[in-house]
Amino acid sequence: MFGRTRIDRRAGFLVAAAVIAVLPLVFQDSYWRATLIVAAINVMLAIGLDFVLGYAGQLNLGHSAFYGIGAYASTLLIMQLGLPFWIAFACGMALSGVAGMTLAVFAARLRGHYLAIASLGFAVIVHQVLLNWIGLTQGPLGIYAIKPPPAIALPGLPVVSFGNTANMLYLVAGFALLFYVLLDQLVSSPIGETLAAIREDEVSAASFGINCTAWKVFAFGVGAAIAGAAGAFYASFVGTLVPDAFIIIESFTVLAMVVVGGMGTLIGPVCGAIVLTILPELLRAFGDLRLVLYGAALTLVVLFMPGGLARAARRLRMHKVDVPAQDRQ
Amino acid sequence: MLTVALQQAINGIVFGSLYVLVALGITLIYGVLVQINFAHADIVTIGAFAAYLFTVALGGNYIAGIGVALAVGAGLGCLVNAAIFAPLRERSELLPLIATIGVSILLQNAMLLLLGPIPYAFDSPYSNEVIRLGGGTFITWQSAIIVAVSTITVALLYAFLKLTFMGKALRAVAQDRETAGLMGINPARLVMLTFVIASALAGMAGAMLGPILVLTPFAGTSVIVKAFAIVIIGGFGNVEGTIIAGLVVGLIESATTQLVNPGLTDVVVFTLLLLMLAVRPTGLIAERREENV
Repeated sequence: MFGRTRIDRRAGFLVAAAVIAVLPLVFQDSYWRATLIVAAINVMLAIGLDFVLGYAGQLNLGHSAFYGIGAYASTLLIMQLGLPFWIAFACGMALSGVAGMTLAVFAARLRGHYLAIASLGFAVIVHQVLLNWIGLTQGPLGIYAIKPPPAIALPGLPVVSFGNTANMLYLVAGFALLFYVLLDQLVSSPIGETLAAIREDEVSAASFGINCTAWKVFAFGVGAAIAGAAGAFYASFVGTLVPDAFIIIESFTVLAMVVVGGMGTLIGPVCGAIVLTILPELLRAFGDLRLVLYGAALTLVVLFMPGGLARAARRLRMHKVDVPAQDRQ
Repeated sequence: MLTVALQQAINGIVFGSLYVLVALGITLIYGVLVQINFAHADIVTIGAFAAYLFTVALGGNYIAGIGVALAVGAGLGCLVNAAIFAPLRERSELLPLIATIGVSILLQNAMLLLLGPIPYAFDSPYSNEVIRLGGGTFITWQSAIIVAVSTITVALLYAFLKLTFMGKALRAVAQDRETAGLMGINPARLVMLTFVIASALAGMAGAMLGPILVLTPFAGTSVIVKAFAIVIIGGFGNVEGTIIAGLVVGLIESATTQLVNPGLTDVVVFTLLLLMLAVRPTGLIAERREENV
């Protein structure tokens, strides 16, 4: 399996790029394009969280906070200080990353459920601050009329405006793919093995000279920065910001995407994010029942597919291929 | 000023004693199973609605309504354990947590569908009757009932854990499940018992919170977030620590409401929690692994 992964992966990225390229052509109406943009934003959130949770093994329930920090920081830098979009975008990512690293200082000393509640507390604090710091965030009134990213006008080519949903989909999905490739490079490098060592057994990792605190800070920083990017895209796509978009339930939603897809794989959370974004839309036919069904579906997937979609698919594939089922353990 | 301080202290203890009931359920389950049940919040909410339907819609007695909520909570706990925790027991710590998030989404939206988003006015007959205490302070009968019922419940629970065979068996399972199993204790039955007790506490807490909270299908969530903070401050699985921490958080909350801003109570509580964790990572009152239920 190891020998062919590199070529397989390159081919996979090309296929993913090709799929993204044809998506707006297949989905012509703006409703489905908008759903796909949200799915791409959720993909970023899910792979960022999975890097912290599935690879570094840190039970983080504060992802909604980093998402919110990225969204508010980038938007306020544009609207209050007049910074250009991409600089504000980078600053939003950086601020989220710094917030993540700050939380990691707690992670350095806390384990399992203690870290889960500490990070949950962090998310509660950020949400309440967004809600109550009215001078800065306008609190529950929200921020309106946020512009999409500026159009790209290269000489000799038609102007690419991101008010157009097809272009916005290319932009957000393109970035999601970029982050995926970056994380894929990270986890298949020695850094991935270092993080796995920390996840499996911190004490032995430390005895091999691994600086566990530094690597946890790194993992939280990367995961949070990607969530910050997702927040900046969310703000510029939706056009309005209210603190309730970043309640702790949002952390749980992303966590569900990671677990339903398959924690500790990168492709799993991508599938999880896409499925759990599109599923509630498909359930719209059921009207008010849809979120009840969504909750039931989530519970059933965990009960009957505990390894997530990615591992269920792998098992299915292995059943089909040469090895008879009873020979494998 | 002294009157205000005393009055806020009373309010803090009233809320704190309800937080204790909710947090004790979480900490009991954690002690035995090392698991978190996120649907605990919705058992609180359903308990509140059960008491509401019994007293307001059916015209029953409010105190009996607390009993109804207790029974409904116990039944739900039984269901959650049988459907989620029993099948997922030996798997990773994360799966039951996610599954209960699913259950929570299901329950909240089912309630939203049946009951609607508009807050219910749950008027307990005791909400408007006031007992005057010394120094210009007062307490409503509702609050007096809350403190009395919580105190009695916690005392009974404490006696159960320390004095009865089942209580001792429960603590034994919390310490070392395998050895307890070898001694002839059936862990599966005790886990079920823990869920029933913990959820009954949540249900009755809901019945008493109903009249003093904004009663919507999402009412339990704000309480559960504080209960998590309390469980951490008290030390996961530590009963005495949880009782003290619950009252402390209630008092911090009323002090914040009075001195800072009612909107910032959670910020203050969780900032203190994070500061505390930075200094003492195992909680203010350390987790007692050798006797942690």
